[in-house]
Amino acid sequence: MRTNRLTDSPPVRFALRYKAWLYLLPALLVITVFQIYPICKSFLMGFYTDFDYLKDEVYAWGFDNFRNLMRDADFALAIKNTMRLALVAAPLSIAVSLLFAVLLNSDIRCRKVFQSIYFLPFVTSMVAVSIVWAWMLNKDFGLVNAILKVFGVKKIAWLTDPNMTLPILVVLCIWKGLGYRVIIFLAGLQGIDPRYYQAARLDGARAMNRFFHITLPQLGPTVFFLSITTVIDVFKTFDEVYVMYAKEPGPLKSGLTIVYYIFDKFYHNWSFAAAAAASFVLFLIVLAITLLQFGVVRLVALYDERRTSR
Amino acid sequence: MKIRLENITKTFKTTTAVSNLSFTIEDGEMICLLGPSGCGKSTTLSMVAGLEQPTEGEIYFDDVPMSGVQAENRDIGMVFQNYALYPHMSVQDNILFPLKMHHVPKAQRRERLEKISNMLQIQELLHRKPGQLSGGQQQRVAIARALIKEPKILLLDEPFSNLDARLRIELRDDIRALQQKLKITTIFVTHDQEEAMSISDRILLMKNGVLQQYSTPQEMYRTPVNLFVASFLGNPPINKLPCTLRDGVITLPGINGWKPDALEPVFCGEVQEQAVLGVRPEDILVVTEGEHLTAQVAAIQTLGKEVYLRLHHGEHTLTACLSWDHDYSIGDTLKLKLRKCYLFPSEGGL
Amino acid sequence: MNQTPGQKAAKLLTYAILIAGAVFILLPFVWMILTSVKPSKEVLKMPPVWIPSKIQWQNYVKAFKAVPFFTYLKNSILVTVMITSCELITTILAAYAFAQLEFRGKNLLFLLLVATMMVPGEILTIPNFVTLARLGWINTYKAMVAPWATSVFSIFLLRQQFASIPQSYYKAARMDGCSDLRYLFTVMVPMSRPTVVSIALLKIINSWNSYLWPLISTNSREMRTLPVGLAYFSTEAGTDYNTLMAFSLMIIAPTIIVYLLTQKYIIQGVSKTGLKG
Repeated sequence: MRTNRLTDSPPVRFALRYKAWLYLLPALLVITVFQIYPICKSFLMGFYTDFDYLKDEVYAWGFDNFRNLMRDADFALAIKNTMRLALVAAPLSIAVSLLFAVLLNSDIRCRKVFQSIYFLPFVTSMVAVSIVWAWMLNKDFGLVNAILKVFGVKKIAWLTDPNMTLPILVVLCIWKGLGYRVIIFLAGLQGIDPRYYQAARLDGARAMNRFFHITLPQLGPTVFFLSITTVIDVFKTFDEVYVMYAKEPGPLKSGLTIVYYIFDKFYHNWSFAAAAAASFVLFLIVLAITLLQFGVVRLVALYDERRTSR
Repeated sequence: MKIRLENITKTFKTTTAVSNLSFTIEDGEMICLLGPSGCGKSTTLSMVAGLEQPTEGEIYFDDVPMSGVQAENRDIGMVFQNYALYPHMSVQDNILFPLKMHHVPKAQRRERLEKISNMLQIQELLHRKPGQLSGGQQQRVAIARALIKEPKILLLDEPFSNLDARLRIELRDDIRALQQKLKITTIFVTHDQEEAMSISDRILLMKNGVLQQYSTPQEMYRTPVNLFVASFLGNPPINKLPCTLRDGVITLPGINGWKPDALEPVFCGEVQEQAVLGVRPEDILVVTEGEHLTAQVAAIQTLGKEVYLRLHHGEHTLTACLSWDHDYSIGDTLKLKLRKCYLFPSEGGL
Repeated sequence: MNQTPGQKAAKLLTYAILIAGAVFILLPFVWMILTSVKPSKEVLKMPPVWIPSKIQWQNYVKAFKAVPFFTYLKNSILVTVMITSCELITTILAAYAFAQLEFRGKNLLFLLLVATMMVPGEILTIPNFVTLARLGWINTYKAMVAPWATSVFSIFLLRQQFASIPQSYYKAARMDGCSDLRYLFTVMVPMSRPTVVSIALLKIINSWNSYLWPLISTNSREMRTLPVGLAYFSTEAGTDYNTLMAFSLMIIAPTIIVYLLTQKYIIQGVSKTGLKG
């Protein structure tokens, strides 16, 4: 038996006392410098009207950036485009994924194979994906028009018709995230106690009724999770637009998203403060949407409670 | 190694887990810490192990104070309730882990592994993973891991609670034999009084962090210091009847034909006029004459070699444990003689 | 089993939808593969040629030659390896502190970190660029790695995982003289292998595919990663679609191979936690 002298020496005692902080140090350093500081900074930068970013000297402050942003038709367009995309793409891609998940959850052969295939786009570089889609959507030599021709559809100028931008981005959103959402839904579906279905069957509920009265309510939290993550993902749309439209925001700026706007201000115009202000607005919008969704869930829960307690 | 606890108190934020506990364990003894859950027995074990520091008091190993000595330097082997076998390591790696931590030379590791695995008869299991073992095998591996360091003290925390009844008995006999062979000072924690009675040299019974009695199993069973100790030991539990004691004569209210002739109770504590009469089920005999009281059979439970009778007399209920040499039927009136009984002060918590 | 005609039709429809979905998902991949080996004159033919008359591996050689492919590859590998290993180390240590160690303000700090998960990474881009520019790190590996060297979400996941390991393991290890750090890496991490592996795999895939940050944080050709290089090449390639597809395929092949080999971990990680990498 040894009495442990070491634990009594001052440096060791110090280390023991602050051991937890030593473990936290690397992560906290990165988080503070690259996550917490930038949040504050991007808020502050939004108010810089005259500054030198390399010297970190600010000569003038003001609301100009936000004022300009509000006046900028492009920013309004970016918000409109992104909102429209979110409103269409999120519900559609969630609905499609739910359909596939329910089908996969039935007594099916090769479930694993289908699941693996659906997940493929999720692990694939968005740049490569955008390039191959752009090639397939080529008006004269693209595969899509060639296939449509078989069905007697005339050539569609997918990439140059502004009306086609939204459908393309929606399809891409569905294509890219199908596997991810199917897996999340499957996890939710498998968490439903099969006895509910047996009980409902005995009560005479048909497949459709079982879906709407058991599956859907039980999947509530999953749908909620996916609606938040999908909307946030849509709000981050950038790679596919930038690559597919050859660094342009789509025909007639129909693919101008918020992140594209930020990137453009920052990378092409070097107006950091304007970009920071726009980022901050993006943050607020995402925050608002998340809170709104939480609020809706609370309201629904409250409504359910009232109804059942009656 | 001798272990001595002196005035040990342990408090967590607002609760006192152990209060003013003192006792000594002689070298080579096997001691059982017994008590209902939450009585402080596991905390006591953790303090001996060095995993918790006492708030007050001191623990001595062979008269050396242990405060400030880290768990790993206390020369202790410990077996946990869930065994805590590392699932990703083979049985062999699990057993060798303590030696690896202590930088024991490779040749010696192999030698000790062979010895310990022979001793516990787990040679066949060395290359398996813990997940592939049965509960009893995992238990043996856990003991091997605890003993390979050749510790001076072995601590077992509820070692049998995850095993089925038959295996439990087999393993506890094995552990007892092993402990006696190695003459290692052993403390084990359990809430099962039968387990405690069957293998320990002495039992330390606790309640709400306070030591109740520390004695050999026989002594604790035959001369309990209070009603709690008497009720905690024994299955079925001791019968408790409120009584009054006047001039050395016991009277039981509500029992007709009560004849306290030749009844010599064991006095447990300061007995006043209002008292509790304790009778162990096996101390109730059925006689044809010279009875203390009569009662009616209300229920019968047969357990192979013996039979439990639930007996009613007025509002009182007694349980008797009799050998199965007579067929009883419900409704029979039996003459009962109390072979032995105890008297407790009535504030003993009836 | 006997099926009614209705059930049979439902089954058929189910398979039809599932297969249609699979075709929809696979079509771009198939088209990419086919185009990548086509002779140039068949690439722009209408109606399209599905099966190339001969397999032209030359396209791949052309892709190698058109860009400094191996430089891009080296950058991609280095950045991916560095990001993943840094993230693993920082998150494992931090998760351990939250799960096993006691310190003041633990819950408050944890709450603060979880709150930062709400912030979309994109808004951090500009201030991070400014920070790194001031450090003089732009156009270095450091700049490409540093902002991604940890992940609050992974800390959160690992903390949950570590906290689910019974305390008796910690006690047993301590009795055997195992230090905290050693316990973490010889017991906790191996016992949490599925979680750690899925975190690592998704990080590898995401870092490999990431585009916006490597684009912004570098400004020379020598520092480009594969996706950045591909995006630049796509505007230069013109109608050289077969070369472009060959290049694209070489970028996506590694992640797809990793995915196919480690599906179990990736799918498990995603389905249990919603992990995105």
